[in-house]
Amino acid sequence: MSVLVFSLIHLVRGDPIRLALGTRFSQETYDALRERSGLDLPLVQQYFTWAGRALTGDLGVSFRSGDTVTSLIGERLPATLTLALAALVVALVIALPLGMLSALHPRSLIDRVATVVSQFGISVPDFWLSIMLILVFAGLLGWLPSGGYVPLTEDPLGWLQRLVLPAVATGVVSGSVITRFVRSSMLEALGQDHVRTAQAKGVPTRQVLTWHVLRNALLPLVTVTGVQLAYLLSGVVVVEIVFSWPGLGQLAYQAVRDRDFPVLQGAVLLFALVFLVINLLVDLLYSRIDPRIARR
Amino acid sequence: MRTNRLLPLAAAAALLVTACGGGGESVDTGGGGGGGGDNVLVAAVSAEPDQFDPHVTNAYASFQVLENVYDTLVVPSAEDLTMQPSLAESWTTSDDGLSWTFTLRDGVTFHDGSEFDSADVVYSFKRIIDEELSNAYRFATVSDVTAPDPRTVVVTLTRPTPNLLELIGSFKGMAIVSENAADELDLQSEANGTGPFQLESSDANATVLTTFDDHWGGAPSIDGVEFRYITEPTAALTALRNGEIQWTDNVPPQNVADLEGDEEVELGSVTSVEYFYMSMNYAVPPFDNRDVRRAIATAIDRDEVTQAARFGAAQPNQTAIPEGSPFFLEYAPFTPDQDAARQLLEQAGVQTPITMGLMVTDEYPETVAAAQVIASQLEPVGIDVEIQEEDFATWLDRQSEGDFDAFMLSWIGNIDPADFYENQHLSTGGSNYQGYSNPQVDDLLTRAATEPDQAARKALYDQAAQLIVDDVSYLYLYNPDEVQAWAPGLTGYQVRADSAIDFANVELP
Repeated sequence: MSVLVFSLIHLVRGDPIRLALGTRFSQETYDALRERSGLDLPLVQQYFTWAGRALTGDLGVSFRSGDTVTSLIGERLPATLTLALAALVVALVIALPLGMLSALHPRSLIDRVATVVSQFGISVPDFWLSIMLILVFAGLLGWLPSGGYVPLTEDPLGWLQRLVLPAVATGVVSGSVITRFVRSSMLEALGQDHVRTAQAKGVPTRQVLTWHVLRNALLPLVTVTGVQLAYLLSGVVVVEIVFSWPGLGQLAYQAVRDRDFPVLQGAVLLFALVFLVINLLVDLLYSRIDPRIARR
Repeated sequence: MRTNRLLPLAAAAALLVTACGGGGESVDTGGGGGGGGDNVLVAAVSAEPDQFDPHVTNAYASFQVLENVYDTLVVPSAEDLTMQPSLAESWTTSDDGLSWTFTLRDGVTFHDGSEFDSADVVYSFKRIIDEELSNAYRFATVSDVTAPDPRTVVVTLTRPTPNLLELIGSFKGMAIVSENAADELDLQSEANGTGPFQLESSDANATVLTTFDDHWGGAPSIDGVEFRYITEPTAALTALRNGEIQWTDNVPPQNVADLEGDEEVELGSVTSVEYFYMSMNYAVPPFDNRDVRRAIATAIDRDEVTQAARFGAAQPNQTAIPEGSPFFLEYAPFTPDQDAARQLLEQAGVQTPITMGLMVTDEYPETVAAAQVIASQLEPVGIDVEIQEEDFATWLDRQSEGDFDAFMLSWIGNIDPADFYENQHLSTGGSNYQGYSNPQVDDLLTRAATEPDQAARKALYDQAAQLIVDDVSYLYLYNPDEVQAWAPGLTGYQVRADSAIDFANVELP
């Protein structure tokens, strides 16, 4: 996979050296910088040098800042983790009640409202939602700062204040996606034979819901939540940019624009790793939720 | 049951309300990056600096910071960008123009306490030359830099270079660093300058400067500057109104009219030395035909282009240098006229419609807007413009490979006419991507480059500029306004035509 990452990035048009030097420079300057960046070597050699170092945890040095890629990623990881987890909380807080309610009362008013809300959440452009949140909560009401990030350890209140808006902006989208899954998997579980049997036996509704329905509905929910978390962890570029949130999405975006290959390779590799790990965790979780899977 | 099910929603709502309500009117502004303090200027810039080595970086975001950290031998005045003493107190030129002697200012100290002398200048200049760093081209005519004594620097030249001051002082890319700084410090993240502020820290959130008390020009009255990176203009302007920040240059032209009547924001604006232009490829017929290029220059209405691209926050100009510069030339031979344009095309003997690919980049969104207007203006005269929007990296690739019919971009930071014309219009010019070659222009520019008399020099450049405009080597469009906004009551700040950001004299409200 690292071969794929490497070659895709190098196939893209655009010369990082020319970008770094701007529009006016001499050929000597160009050659000197190209040599310093190691870009004058054959691509295959560049790959093996990079891959060899990557195995030892050395992802190279940014063309632009001269910082190591690991330090650049390390600096932005806490912000990304914070936003991803907070957004997931917002998403679940929206999705679970909304999805369950609409599954329990299909085609009722609440179901229709939930459908409209989730449709809105999926289709609204995140930059628009983010700007609206800023204009209303930072501009009009003046309740919250317009953006930025402070580490939790430095200023817990400031951390929370700055986290709310971006978390809502990202959480609404993920929440809307999850709502639909909650609704459909709940509906499916509700229609199963054993649920009808339990109800016929006079098991209290609450117990039927938690034991017989929810547990069965949980599998697809865990899958989609895992996918959403992986997506959130690979950085939400637009929301990060609008809220000046120094996360991995911004880092990767800037690296694409600058053709900063080492940073881009490091970031993409990390995103791939995040997907692998989360998929693994989801699979492990399956067997906890549904013992049949473990036995198979 | 019902209440139970709604509980999580209610709890979430409550959480949100407490989280929001906590702030009330008193939004915490100190925060980010550990700057803080009441007397610290918080400035919002639109991008994060890539690094802080003044001799290596090319990023405007870096120079916004470095402007306040380093000094140069001479510096452009805020009024008309003529070169003023800075680290050099005075200078003389030998009669043959081949040797410049600079007398350095006494009593200047670096941020680390060491004393500034001629060895630092020699080191800084030689570092740029010997390591072939980005600005090495500025020393193209320099054969040696020596320090006969601690207060004197002599620059020896291979040919007279009347614009030497501009070459070594127009921006902080020519900063004087302390001797051996590159060995003793990690200049990409550390700095040891002589400027009014010291680089304290920089991370993904903010860059923090603190006041340098021993600055030779007197210490600034504020305690420091915190640069925050806010890319989204709405967020930057909201933060300014909220008092989270006190200054920003993230003011898009479409917001200027609104902000002018806004009491919560003070606006500063000046016509900058930047210029936007369109250029056509001489290697691609029919754009090799002077009449075709002139037809296009005649069909374009610069006022409309300026209105669409900048919402009027710019001065239309048929030459490069803005009014207000000592080198301004009043010359506007083209009057928008579609009939005349059609006639020129007929005269050229080309079959219309012609298709012209116009390459623009989202790095400069206003080129995209301008291209749309240009397309609509050229269509009635028989030129179908195909707008090709590229990201900047691809754009630059195509430009250097000559893979274009026409493109739009701007040049920034030029002060001397040599900068405006040589690289772009000499037949051997490094940025002459259009392939312009006029022996008369070559001759004029070459003579002007060594002409010591200012008036004679300007006359030569004026002649060259007229030919460049007439031949449509560049189709000049406009000089944009540099617009910045700050909190009412902030004083001691001046918007500069070269877009340099100097906070040394700022006083907070």
